[in-house]
Amino acid sequence: MTNSTEPLISMRGITKRFGGVTALEGVDLDLYAGEVLAIVGDNGAGKSTLIKILTGVFRPTEGTILMNGDELAMNSHSDAIDHGIDAVYQTLALADHLTPAANMFLGSELTKNFLGLEFLDNKRMRSEAERTLQERLGVTLRSMDVSTDSLSGGQRQAVAIARAVYHTDLKVLVMDEPTAALGPRETARTLKLIEAVREQGLGVIVISHSLDDVFAVSDRIQIMRRGRRADVVKTSESSSTKVLGIMVGAPTEQVAADHE
Amino acid sequence: MSETTPEQGLSGREKLDKYLALLGPMAMIAALLLLMLLLEPARYFRVSNFDIILKDAALYMPMAMAMTLVITTRGIDLSIGSVAALTAIVMGYMVKSYGFPWWAAVSIAISLGALCGLINGLVITKLKVPDLIGTLAMDLAYRGFALVLAKGIVLSRFPEEIVAIGRGSIPGFLPVPVVIGLVTIIAGYIIYTRTRLGRYAIAIGSNPEAAELTGVPVNRYKVYVYVLMGAMAGLAGVMLAGKLNAIQATSAPFFNLHVIAAVVVGGTSLFGGRGSMIGSLAGVLLLAMMINALVTLRIEFFWQSVASGAVIIFSVAFYTWIQMKDRDGQGGFMAALKTPENRHLGRFLLIMAVIIGTLFILGWLFAGETTAVR
Repeated sequence: MTNSTEPLISMRGITKRFGGVTALEGVDLDLYAGEVLAIVGDNGAGKSTLIKILTGVFRPTEGTILMNGDELAMNSHSDAIDHGIDAVYQTLALADHLTPAANMFLGSELTKNFLGLEFLDNKRMRSEAERTLQERLGVTLRSMDVSTDSLSGGQRQAVAIARAVYHTDLKVLVMDEPTAALGPRETARTLKLIEAVREQGLGVIVISHSLDDVFAVSDRIQIMRRGRRADVVKTSESSSTKVLGIMVGAPTEQVAADHE
Repeated sequence: MSETTPEQGLSGREKLDKYLALLGPMAMIAALLLLMLLLEPARYFRVSNFDIILKDAALYMPMAMAMTLVITTRGIDLSIGSVAALTAIVMGYMVKSYGFPWWAAVSIAISLGALCGLINGLVITKLKVPDLIGTLAMDLAYRGFALVLAKGIVLSRFPEEIVAIGRGSIPGFLPVPVVIGLVTIIAGYIIYTRTRLGRYAIAIGSNPEAAELTGVPVNRYKVYVYVLMGAMAGLAGVMLAGKLNAIQATSAPFFNLHVIAAVVVGGTSLFGGRGSMIGSLAGVLLLAMMINALVTLRIEFFWQSVASGAVIIFSVAFYTWIQMKDRDGQGGFMAALKTPENRHLGRFLLIMAVIIGTLFILGWLFAGETTAVR
């Protein structure tokens, strides 16, 4: 599914130390436009730290991040958003009492002027939100006027993703455990949303503990182990047994043989 | 693209949800009117009496508007009574002792209120003192300042413009304080629905972490809300001074609880994120009508606090139950009413209504006897 030969994002030799603890050691990561890259690994393998460096939350101790060959210098999460890198958090960061549209535009509201005063343009935010959900994610909410907490898990996820993809210059979407709190039906819906985002040529990074979901949606899988990149495999050429083997550090052939 | 089937439309209950905030106080107002119709129609249903009710309610409208925003952010402000007293005392001195024109004194009073609000906001956001303790402590401090300034003096006989703010009438129209109160409520409604301040207040109260993550300057907007609260308390101080044409340092002792009661009765959630300006207006009216009813029935003044307390407990319990039902609201409103939980609620409401009604009737009978003795 990789459309271009040049990676959209390439992280090179990323090392991150917190005091004396080394969370990441010389990790590389390549992400191509129009692909879903899954990052898997045991707890403490460095998945979250790596992603927080990519989204500007942490600064790497060593290493560089290139976007289309240019080096990125990011000091905060908003820098990352300016460069077209945004994340959807596991908690979705939605204000439950607001409508979906109000949530989508939270912090960057559309306004109109009236007698020199700035007022919220609720009507336009509502129609823009509806349009973004429909055109970019293929989702129609059961109502645009209810509070967000009355929507299902999948639809809440759609609102959170729509908030990220509304900014037309978004190039990279990072999703941290998108299916962790969802039932099977909502999980299927969420995976469809991820595919819809990929089809629009964005690079998507998914962190997940669920190998089933990873194999259902990803193009490539990067396996992290103890702060290092253990391997990168093509999803179509691998199996969950193999990936699991790399994750826990067993020799691949051995695991495969045991499995047979 | 994936399929576009909407999961389900709006249930009847959800359509009703928007009006829920109004339903509570409206039902109570209706019950109260009905009761008064039975007990004391002649003295309660008079134009002059409704004039009194409206003027009483008007005093609390500006504060209820701002308190709605404060509570929506999960905050609380217990200092408003002292802020009102302090600003009124300062205004009184300015016009009485230093010869300030009335408009300058009034603007300085409102600005001073805003300054008190700013201090409250900074205590909460910068010093990280929890709002309950922070504003309670500032309540003591502001009251102390007022006492230091006024000693035991009662300041009275203000310029007629200030008296007009408190109790003046516009011929053929509403009293001046009612106009001021309604204007602040309308402004509050616009702030709540159509400005960043209102939107962020909801977001902060609903999910502070999410608001922070999406780039809302949480602490700055919290401070704004407290500044507005202080300014409205200052305005209330001016209105109170005008209404009584007198002010002293111990005036307005229970503004805070009265206003919080009105706001909570109006459906604003103490847990943040859900507020209603119109509900607060209805809450203010309900409390004013209730207190007026107690007076009309010649029930002793001190029962007011008992009645206010009962109304607060009753409303918070009511809204909490309604929220619980919200979780499994699939089968529409009527189905929701039939769940065991809500049969329970129905019984509870009925019992409460009977108790309150009985209290009123008992009080009326009892009060009738004591007035004869007096």
